[in-house]
Amino acid sequence: MSIDLILFLVLALVAVATALGMLFSRNAVYSALFLVLNFATVAVFYVLLSAPFIALTQITVYAGAIMVLFLFVIMLLGAERLPASPALPWQRPLAIFLALVLIAETGYLLLFRQAVTATVSLPQTDVFGSPSQVGTALFNQYLLPFEVTSVLLLSAMVGVIVLTVRKKGERE
Amino acid sequence: MDAALIWEWVIKALFLIFFLLGGFAYLTWYERKALARIQVRYGPNRAGPYGLLQPIADAVKLIFKEELTPSMADKVIFILAPIVTVVPVMLMAATVPWGPPIQLFGRTINMSVADLNVGVLYITSIASIAVYGIVLAGWSSNNKYAILGGLRASAQMVSYELALGLAFVLPILLAGSMRLMDIVTKQAEMGWFVLIQPVGALIFLIATLAEIGRAPFDMPDAEQELSSSYHSEYSGMKFALFFMAEYEKMIVICAIAATLFFGGFLGPGVDKWPWLGPIYLLAKIIVLLFLMIWVRATFPRIRYDRLMALGWKVLLPTALGLVFVTALGILLAEAVNPAMLWIIPLLSLVAGVLAVGVIERALRRKEYARR
Amino acid sequence: MTTAAPHDVPHTVQAGTPDLAARFPGLVAPDERSGYSGWIVTADHLVQVATALRDEFGYDLLSSVTGVDYLPEGKMEVVYHAFKTTGGPGICFKVQTGRDDPQVPSLVSVYPGAELQEREAWDLLGIKFTGHPDLRRILMWEGFNGHPLRKDWQEPYYEDEAKPFKSRSPEGHVYRFEDRNPFGDNVRYPEDFDPEKWTPENPEDLLYKSLKTYQAESPDGIETDHIVVNMGPQHPSTHGVFRFVVALDGEKIVNLKPVMGYLHRNHEKIGERNTYLMNMPYTDRLDYLSPMSNNFAYALTVEKLMGITPPERAEYIRVIMAELTRIANHCMCIGSLLNDLGAFFTPMIYLLEERDLILDVFEATAGSRMMVNYFRFGGVARDIPEDALEKIKGLAFERLPRILDEMDRLMSENEILRARGIGQGVLTAEDAIRYSATGPLLRGSGVPYDIRRADPYSIYDRFEFDIPVGKNGDIYDRYIIRLEEMRQSVRIIQQALKQMPEGPVMVGKPQYQFRPPVGESYGRVEGPKGELGFYIVSNGKPTPWRYHVRAPSFINLTAFGPMCVGQKVADTVAILGSIDIVLGEVDR
Repeated sequence: MSIDLILFLVLALVAVATALGMLFSRNAVYSALFLVLNFATVAVFYVLLSAPFIALTQITVYAGAIMVLFLFVIMLLGAERLPASPALPWQRPLAIFLALVLIAETGYLLLFRQAVTATVSLPQTDVFGSPSQVGTALFNQYLLPFEVTSVLLLSAMVGVIVLTVRKKGERE
Repeated sequence: MDAALIWEWVIKALFLIFFLLGGFAYLTWYERKALARIQVRYGPNRAGPYGLLQPIADAVKLIFKEELTPSMADKVIFILAPIVTVVPVMLMAATVPWGPPIQLFGRTINMSVADLNVGVLYITSIASIAVYGIVLAGWSSNNKYAILGGLRASAQMVSYELALGLAFVLPILLAGSMRLMDIVTKQAEMGWFVLIQPVGALIFLIATLAEIGRAPFDMPDAEQELSSSYHSEYSGMKFALFFMAEYEKMIVICAIAATLFFGGFLGPGVDKWPWLGPIYLLAKIIVLLFLMIWVRATFPRIRYDRLMALGWKVLLPTALGLVFVTALGILLAEAVNPAMLWIIPLLSLVAGVLAVGVIERALRRKEYARR
Repeated sequence: MTTAAPHDVPHTVQAGTPDLAARFPGLVAPDERSGYSGWIVTADHLVQVATALRDEFGYDLLSSVTGVDYLPEGKMEVVYHAFKTTGGPGICFKVQTGRDDPQVPSLVSVYPGAELQEREAWDLLGIKFTGHPDLRRILMWEGFNGHPLRKDWQEPYYEDEAKPFKSRSPEGHVYRFEDRNPFGDNVRYPEDFDPEKWTPENPEDLLYKSLKTYQAESPDGIETDHIVVNMGPQHPSTHGVFRFVVALDGEKIVNLKPVMGYLHRNHEKIGERNTYLMNMPYTDRLDYLSPMSNNFAYALTVEKLMGITPPERAEYIRVIMAELTRIANHCMCIGSLLNDLGAFFTPMIYLLEERDLILDVFEATAGSRMMVNYFRFGGVARDIPEDALEKIKGLAFERLPRILDEMDRLMSENEILRARGIGQGVLTAEDAIRYSATGPLLRGSGVPYDIRRADPYSIYDRFEFDIPVGKNGDIYDRYIIRLEEMRQSVRIIQQALKQMPEGPVMVGKPQYQFRPPVGESYGRVEGPKGELGFYIVSNGKPTPWRYHVRAPSFINLTAFGPMCVGQKVADTVAILGSIDIVLGEVDR
């Protein structure tokens, strides 16, 4: 076993454990923290795959920004204690059904589509996954999706502002 | 991976950690002394000559203080929070280069713990993690002041990260690399970036003040309003960890500011004598630290909503404008004439004056509606 | 010392005040007791008369509301003093009621500034003000047994009516009461009250309920929770043990109630037992940052009662001391205001240096830096020593003008101070008058009302000085006004030093005990914090029958809640700092 494999197995264990912890924790704050840990583990995977740029972006965006907002919402609403029983009666059967579908799909892929699981050799150059490479790809190959995403985010922002802004005449 | 490399890392990391710990202790002394001189007082002068043993006395006091945990607190997170606050700060210091590479025992040794090719991004991502400690400390204390303070502090940090991130972009653009070492070496040929992008450096300094919660942005521990907010329930060593995080953050942020805008370890004679590098960097850090202390002694605190307004409505657009100006200048310098680079400071000064004008107009005395 | 009563003339309408008996025939009668003045209004028509006074005669500032318990006559009397903000003498009107279950209509609807004072009268004297919106105890705690200022109220281990207690020196041996009862508790509980079983919910409920009455429904029908936050009594920015309860909508304040009395020692009860002179050192402890001014007001009141005037030199010394106190107080106030805004002690320490130099003068003159006990009835305790006079001259002519300009340059144009001060905590001129605000708080709102000018006392009519007035009534204006008032004080001191004659500093022979003639007297000065008034009723004994302090810090707090509504939590601290309170005076 190479050192990379041992690392991978340990990290995978952590990733799965934190994901389960996030699901089963009764306290929403703990769930959020498990999720943060999960994101961090995924970031380490990216580092193992020689993509430090993606790894650090993952931490900055998900752990640093999005999860902080999650925590905000949880704390502000005082929703950290989850109710003991599920809120929706049809939720559990639906979840089980969807999980089965997912397992079936993954099994099909693993068993009959050998090609996807073939090892891809990583290009061991310094340039791979570097900021300049990611930037070039983003602004040439994926220009349209990139711009569409930015417009989407902008419209979401405008929507939020429209919703929260008070009408004139109301007390400021 | 040979054993020597691992030893090199361990030794460098230990050096850095001890530097930060010692620096933290003596930064408190330095701050108290500098504040005292500004305020026509003596400052600590009882423990040892010039009060030099004061930090040690403080440390002993804090270690032996009783540790209290509120009965309704979330114990695990309550203990975890100070640790989560301190560790990222130490991690952040890893990428700062302390000098040019040196030859020792037949090896080339980099003078930074980790010379990442995404060093700047690394700093922002670790800085964004540091928020957790504060949010969790506020929440787990189960205290209204603490939770309000924690939420405030983290909202402030998240908001100023944007302006800070854009200020990071300026040296990246100028150097064409995210590696801190490259940024420093580029400054050797182009001159300190503070000369090319003075407004950017200013925004960086303002945003860092807010990011680490120093006066006049010290909302997180606005003693007069929230009786020291998120760490109000902490005592003893756990409190000391928050304290430590704040002061180490000051040191690290000053080191980063010195590296990005003030030429890092550069100085006369560094090429010939590499050991001058750490000394120059330290000197720059001390000067920047004094700037922070000076600001604290001079300015009252900004109110929270105005602080947010400053971050979102002034600093962020200005920083965006500066990024545009810088990119424009670089393109012109490449396409037309290298001297066109000096369009950057000119245009950015215009942007800075515009921003100041906006603040001035907002502050100008208006006829306010009488309630 | 002459003790001839000047009041033995039959009642006439004081020049410049309206003849209320002619305006309200049958409802208002002149107060014809010897030594008394003013009008007695029938309780049922109090609101009507007060409204007319405010709207027809222009007495828009209700300065003082207090009660007197006339036990021998079996009466309770509520005494009101109202003034015009345009200046001139005030008017005093009274309401009389029986001692058992005394009830008087509340004047809060006419003068909202009466709110806290009526609560105080209810708390200490048990006078019910019908129609008061929030009649709770204010200085004593809920569940306190009785009303301590009633003459038939006796504290646990009651000894004697007036000091010195005869019971404490049996056969000539003096002992201290504390030695006799070192650990015993000296609290007496009401009949139906058991401290072991009592839970603190009820009075808090009372307080929080009064907060809720102001809660408005949100316009879009979304139910929002208001967080109730207690600031204090242990809070670094309340300048002592002051507490206020804020109802918050997010970080915006929807309602605020001050809670006080943590430092209450019943100054007025103590005053009723002490002889007149014994009270002088007690007044130092009211507003311990401006003791000279407290001395001044008390001395003026008693002198008015006795009909004596101090010699010329003493008048000048009094003015110099009072103005030095004003400077010292404003130094402290501006320093701590800046601290409240989050400046890290730098302005505070710069200003404390000046205050210390002034306290040096006090020490050289009176023997004490803060608790001066310097004024006497008919003069001052001793003359200013030569070296102290030199120090004052140095301060007034050289150092203070320079330092004040320096402070102005250092602070006034600071962006953050302007951002946090301008437009924050606005109190309009009309509101300021309605809430009986006085001092820099009132002048900051644009009302040029300074007792030194409006109704000059002592020798203030001889000096040239300006009354600084603000425009917007915000925190910044109050700050600027204080800075400017210090400059004006320096001007007054300069003139006083030039004009000061030689001569005695005390009229007659000093005496420890005397009996002023029967009567009442209300004396007031423009203290650094506002109108400081003393209301004293004498029944010809060596101790006052009633001794009331009209404390500016306390009454200015009436406006605190309204000023804060709509502001952020951070601003309450700054607003409180700009009111400038001292808890020794608020709680008395």
